[in-house]
Amino acid sequence: MCNEAPGRYTTCLLPPRPYPSGVQNASANLGLDDAELARRIASAPDGSDVAAETELYRRLAPRVRLYGLKHLRDRQAASDLAQQVLLLTLERLRAGKLRDAEQLVSFVFGTCRMMVLELRRTGARRERLLELYADDVPMADPAATPRLDQARLVDCLERLPERERSVLVMTFYDDQPAREVGVALGLSEGNVRVIRHRGIERLRDCVTEGLR
Amino acid sequence: MTAPSCADPIPLATLLEYWLGELDAAREGELDGHLLGCSHCSASLQSLVDLAGGVGAAVRAGALDAVLSDAFVQRLAARGLRLRQYHVPHNGSVHCTVAPDDDLLITRLAAPLLGIERLDLERVGTGGSSDLERLCDVPFDAAAGEVVFTLPMQRIRALPETTVRIRLIAPAPSGERLVGEYTLHHRPYQSSDGH
Repeated sequence: MCNEAPGRYTTCLLPPRPYPSGVQNASANLGLDDAELARRIASAPDGSDVAAETELYRRLAPRVRLYGLKHLRDRQAASDLAQQVLLLTLERLRAGKLRDAEQLVSFVFGTCRMMVLELRRTGARRERLLELYADDVPMADPAATPRLDQARLVDCLERLPERERSVLVMTFYDDQPAREVGVALGLSEGNVRVIRHRGIERLRDCVTEGLR
Repeated sequence: MTAPSCADPIPLATLLEYWLGELDAAREGELDGHLLGCSHCSASLQSLVDLAGGVGAAVRAGALDAVLSDAFVQRLAARGLRLRQYHVPHNGSVHCTVAPDDDLLITRLAAPLLGIERLDLERVGTGGSSDLERLCDVPFDAAAGEVVFTLPMQRIRALPETTVRIRLIAPAPSGERLVGEYTLHHRPYQSSDGH
């Protein structure tokens, strides 16, 4: 399978395969840190350590996806980024070009940065097309993340003091910095940060309490 | 499975600043690198992002009871949400309803707010009963001369024909001062053909 990544990247590599029967769950049994996993992949004959590759993919993909979400603010683009970066990383490891944790993180970080720049360029093109054809395109999926009990979260929001609730709502609806929220509510930037921090801590504790 | 611990975990306040783009480029790059190499801190960030996503989803679902601002309401409209807005004059009243395809109900209470340090909002009737609710220390922009709020759509849609009374009160050491009184005459939605 060949993946045509944006820009100059072209990878021809299979993502880690599911475990064959008899290979046990990697996270439960490998007990290795990222660097040890990298060394195992690098020292195995090309792509033969399925368990180590799968485990490394499982660990790194969510981190790269978060990086993508932070810098691209688009779930689909972040998922694409994670897949492309991880395929390139495994390819590097199989070729024996990354052997320690520092090299691994540095390669993943560098690749993320370059790919985000490329995706931003293609994203700008996509934005222009959306502006032209906005009425014909369905809105982005507004569904909440399935990791949360949404009813519980709304209940916890309702329990917050008014100021904290307003600041959290106006911050996280579309990820606005303290300065913008402060201007809208007649509060100083520092004051918004204090209220925001207190509010998110209370919200997190309340939601977590509901899971126990 | 819990994430392995980190020798130098990123504090929640810094994670917030990182996520909201409030850090300078050098610090942001530092944290990018740390987060890509640290499952503990990336798990903390993920839980923060989950909460943020949940708050956004609650707004879009019209599930919140919250005081907002004019600028925020404009952002909601720009994002394509269908807003039904009522401007209530100072000490005035309006007739109001919500239609089936409205996403949010926005109420704007005009009030002379300059010089006011703290504001409470009292209301009767939004829960379908005569219980008095008092929202303490609501945020407001005095220069805007209005208090803007939204109520959960599910609660409003369930209301029978009713009258909602709202008072804005400025608490002070010398006693409370009434800033404004408002009346909302709510009726369940009826389409133009009477349904």
